[in-house]
Amino acid sequence: MDTDFYTPMRLDEVESPLQDEVEKALGIDIETCMECGKCSGGCSNAHIFDFTPRKVVQLIRLGAEETLLTMDALWVCLSCQLCVDRCPSGIDIPRIMDYLREKALREGYRPSRPAVVLFYELMCSCVERRGRVSEAPLMLRFNVLTGQYLKDLTLGIRMFLKGKLPLTAGKVKKMDEVRTLFVSWHRRSVKRG
Amino acid sequence: MIVAYYPGCSLEGVAREYDRSARLVCERLGFGLQEVPDWNCCGATAAHSLDHELTRGLSARNLATVGRMNLATVTTPCPGCSIRLKGAAMEAKKEGGAPEVMHLLQLLTEAAGTEKIASSVIKPLGGLRLAAYYGCLVTRPRAVARFDDPEQPRSMDRLLQALGAETVDWSHKAECCGGAFAASETSIVVDLGGQVLEAAHQAGAEALAVACPMCQVNIDTRQREVESTRGVRYDLPVFYFTQLMGLAYGFTHRAMGLKRLLVNPLPLLKRKGIL
Repeated sequence: MDTDFYTPMRLDEVESPLQDEVEKALGIDIETCMECGKCSGGCSNAHIFDFTPRKVVQLIRLGAEETLLTMDALWVCLSCQLCVDRCPSGIDIPRIMDYLREKALREGYRPSRPAVVLFYELMCSCVERRGRVSEAPLMLRFNVLTGQYLKDLTLGIRMFLKGKLPLTAGKVKKMDEVRTLFVSWHRRSVKRG
Repeated sequence: MIVAYYPGCSLEGVAREYDRSARLVCERLGFGLQEVPDWNCCGATAAHSLDHELTRGLSARNLATVGRMNLATVTTPCPGCSIRLKGAAMEAKKEGGAPEVMHLLQLLTEAAGTEKIASSVIKPLGGLRLAAYYGCLVTRPRAVARFDDPEQPRSMDRLLQALGAETVDWSHKAECCGGAFAASETSIVVDLGGQVLEAAHQAGAEALAVACPMCQVNIDTRQREVESTRGVRYDLPVFYFTQLMGLAYGFTHRAMGLKRLLVNPLPLLKRKGIL
């Protein structure tokens, strides 16, 4: 066993359908990763990630699809773009994270942070209805739907009194153009899911 | 120079003072801003986290509208909007032409330049020590942003110096403030925003200057929470860089909407003899 432990694992001998999928769908060649770890070194949230960006890339090489689609890091990644800018191979990790998030939801995996997904969905439904986001109603709906009625109440009132949370916002006139985009999104989600 | 102007949703809400000050400052520098008619939300982090095609579609519609305005350049004060629009323009350029997309800081520092910015100064911001905070998307990803340095940006520093202020050298210029997690995972914003505040404080800054509505909201509105979590009093006002330009150009603090900031900047400005 000891000798096995010290024998490096040859990742190029591991079959990974996910790696092929990422290469085909996103045009990203994971094979160029040299595991330098600069992505994880720069990541603002690496200290709370269950799998750091470097590990995410290696898990794709290993084909560990289930692990990737259920990991917590998916929902606390900030999309701050530091990892891709530091990667000597230019691997677009934020794009991979987007792809994995989309795939996880489409395939029905329960996100580890439902509130994060709920917030994204509420924001998108705001755009679907009005074409623009109005922050005050969005925050209120989010707090009601998560049952956190008193969350940020004092802060909300302070911001409201400063005129930072107007109750009305602009609206797109040609809403049919915006709605078309959402109709095809919903059609995509249904077809795949 | 006539430029198309895409404000973005925050500029109609939490960041209205950014919109007002941006418009006034641009006018003073001779930029005629023409608002993009019937613009829609870019979808921000929410859309790109849920569906790639949706986020592309939303920005493509905006870019097409800009295209019909027959203007060479479109600017937006929001880095999130700007990076989405720049992405759309990169794709459109492959199939023909597309207008130049510039973040407002980029427009002012590249198209106007620091000399012109300095020449309009009436009331220099003498003695004000600022931490220029760029956040993520003004300069990243660099292949899309194509502006300044992705990790050690200097454009805003030079702009603030042209206004007569001092800027500090510090570590967190281009670190993330917690972005879209203000409501859904507040502890992340308190953690990362706290790191930014601590770094600015350590560097001896008296206030921060930002170019992003998310950065402003996160660092300003969560500052009390950060202070009680860390047990440190920072009391660092968070200005939009356009508000500081406006003050130096002789606009009143009312016109620049300084009272809308949660950490009150007026005592500091009075102490420095700026107000």
